[in-house]
Amino acid sequence: MLGPDVAWYVAVAAVLFGIGALGVLIRRNTIVVLLSLELMLNAGNLALIALSRHWHNGAGQIFALAVMAVAASEVCVGLGLVVALNRRNLSLDVDSLSELRG
Amino acid sequence: MTGGAWLCLLAPLGGTILITLCGTRIPRVVAAWISTVSCFVAFGGAVWAFLGVQARHAVGPVNPVTFLPAVPGRGEITTAWTWLQSGNFHVGLQLLVDPLSTVMMLIVSGVGALIVLYSIGYMDGDEEERRYFAYMSFFVFSMLLLVEGGNLLLLLVGWGLVGLSSYLLIGFWHKRPSAVQAAKKAFVMNAFGDATMALAFFVLIAHTHSLSFAPNFDVHLSSTAINLVALGLLGGAVAKSAQIPLQTWLPDAMEGPTPVSALIHAATMVTAGVYLIARTHPIFEQAPTIELIAAGTGALTLLVAGLIALVQTDIKRVIAYSTMSQIGYMFLGAGVGAYANGMFHLLTHAFFKALLFMAAGLAIHALAGEQDIRRMRGLGQLMPFTKWCFLAGALALVGIPPFSGFFSKDSIVAATAALGTWYGWIFWVCGVAGAFLTGLYTFRLWFLVFPGEPSPFVREHHHRHGRLEGALTMLVPVGVLAVLATVGGWLQWSPRWTPFTDWLAPAARTLPVAIPTNTQEYYTSAATVLAGLAGIAVAWAIYSERRIAIPAAPFWRRALEEKFYFDLLYDRIFYAPAAAVANVLRREFEEPVVLQTGSDLGEAALETGGLVRRIQTGFLRTYVLFLAAGAAGVVLAFLIAK
Repeated sequence: MLGPDVAWYVAVAAVLFGIGALGVLIRRNTIVVLLSLELMLNAGNLALIALSRHWHNGAGQIFALAVMAVAASEVCVGLGLVVALNRRNLSLDVDSLSELRG
Repeated sequence: MTGGAWLCLLAPLGGTILITLCGTRIPRVVAAWISTVSCFVAFGGAVWAFLGVQARHAVGPVNPVTFLPAVPGRGEITTAWTWLQSGNFHVGLQLLVDPLSTVMMLIVSGVGALIVLYSIGYMDGDEEERRYFAYMSFFVFSMLLLVEGGNLLLLLVGWGLVGLSSYLLIGFWHKRPSAVQAAKKAFVMNAFGDATMALAFFVLIAHTHSLSFAPNFDVHLSSTAINLVALGLLGGAVAKSAQIPLQTWLPDAMEGPTPVSALIHAATMVTAGVYLIARTHPIFEQAPTIELIAAGTGALTLLVAGLIALVQTDIKRVIAYSTMSQIGYMFLGAGVGAYANGMFHLLTHAFFKALLFMAAGLAIHALAGEQDIRRMRGLGQLMPFTKWCFLAGALALVGIPPFSGFFSKDSIVAATAALGTWYGWIFWVCGVAGAFLTGLYTFRLWFLVFPGEPSPFVREHHHRHGRLEGALTMLVPVGVLAVLATVGGWLQWSPRWTPFTDWLAPAARTLPVAIPTNTQEYYTSAATVLAGLAGIAVAWAIYSERRIAIPAAPFWRRALEEKFYFDLLYDRIFYAPAAAVANVLRREFEEPVVLQTGSDLGEAALETGGLVRRIQTGFLRTYVLFLAAGAAGVVLAFLIAK
């Protein structure tokens, strides 16, 4: 078994996920929110792959591939929205996009 | 023959539909004529069916005067299709054409057509004439369905529909609260009779799996079952024919237009009970107790109604009570087994009672709606035609020969004498006493309204419609019926000449026990005619000459004016407790519980909504926070559970 213990990998993944979640909650810029989302997804991927290796089970790696595909599509939609907002000269501040407010 | 029956049934229905569909696109007078013509077409169909029955299977020489064969043909049932099917229980949409139903068809469509014709003049200028004529046609259709229906279920359908059209027509002037009340009263009391009939049918279906006329009459049921069936049928008959104890709706029904009173509440619908007994007589014959109750009900009603009629002051109510009294005679006849005599009285009664109502309608019309006989003195001088027609009807009602009532009423009373039992003699005495009362109340009405100098009220309010005493459409039917009321009874003079009884024999043969001897016929005739004349003489002495003062007897007078307290009694027994319970429920349950719960629920929902609304900030971050908190909560829950 090469490299550090699996607990380290999971700890890094948890820290990455926390940074991403804080970014989604705190930042107002739509693009940064999207970046934070990507960070959360990849934290999940890191945990999946680390545990996959730890347990000698390939399913986790396959699952990480699927998450990447979902992440790619999500970024497509998200960036598409950002471009559409920009074309209409709308603000990219997420707090100004509150049509659903009750 | 069956074609005639279908034509007879469907023509008035077609009239109703046509008037309803045309609505306001046709003038009022066209609607009136559509209705009239449809009824006359129905009469044509009835004549066709009658001739068919006459020709079919008839045996023996034809009577040269009436053209009736000595032995008429039996009936025929025509089925259009199976109307209702449930397991082994079938009911077809079928008509029965036999001697009994053709007689009823002729009466209903003939008298009905004359009365609808009369309505053209009477209802002229009313705001909702089209609706009136649609209802009238519909009533004639319903009544024909009742008498032509080829099984008991169709009979019940007709029975219910005449109740409905009666309700609609009593309440025709729906802006008058009293008319609406009267309509509801009639409907509720008739519904009671419908319900007892339906129960009787359930018993029949349970025992015989059939509602057709033929098999039920052969099957012999247990005595309890047959008594129940007969009692249920009698309940329906009593309610529809306004006999004691379900009689209180008929006088109130006079709130309807006068032609309606003439058609529904004198000539046709109220006599349906007699038809029912004659039609289902094999059931009644198996339940002699119930049949005796029917006869007793008739005897009691004819006396009570005759007594109440003595103090009524509304011209139409006097005639209404006399209708109840005469139907009492018919019940008496049908109850003792003299079905043909009861039906014969039904026939003559249809003529003279429709005549009396329509003549009274002429008077009411000429006096701009006044119905109080105390104000009408001396009307005869201004309206001679009405006067003489009314006199013909009155004499027929009292049963003075040669007017029609004499022939029909006397044979009923004679049939009770033929029974020879103690109750037979009680019925006989009731019948003769009823004849006296009939003479008294009828000629009280006559002497108060027609002879003498016109009173100031009459002089002031009387107005002519043109040169005649009324529109021609009104005078012609009155004239025709006056002739029929005079000569209609000559169809039969028992025991010498009985073509009517022979004609009905295949459908409703008079029981041998109810066939009087010649002697009984003669002394009964003498007694009833003398009693009637005595009644007329007393009425003359009291109300025309004023030689005899009206007996004071305040207790009796009050009892009569209150109609023997029947309304009061029903009010106390049925209405008052129901109203009290309903009031308590409204106060204690509906207002605090039902109504309050609704508004409480609404307020609670509003408050909750106000609270929950605050979560919906519209900021994406808030939602994400909730999402993260929720996910963290789930993770925590799993960890703790582990």
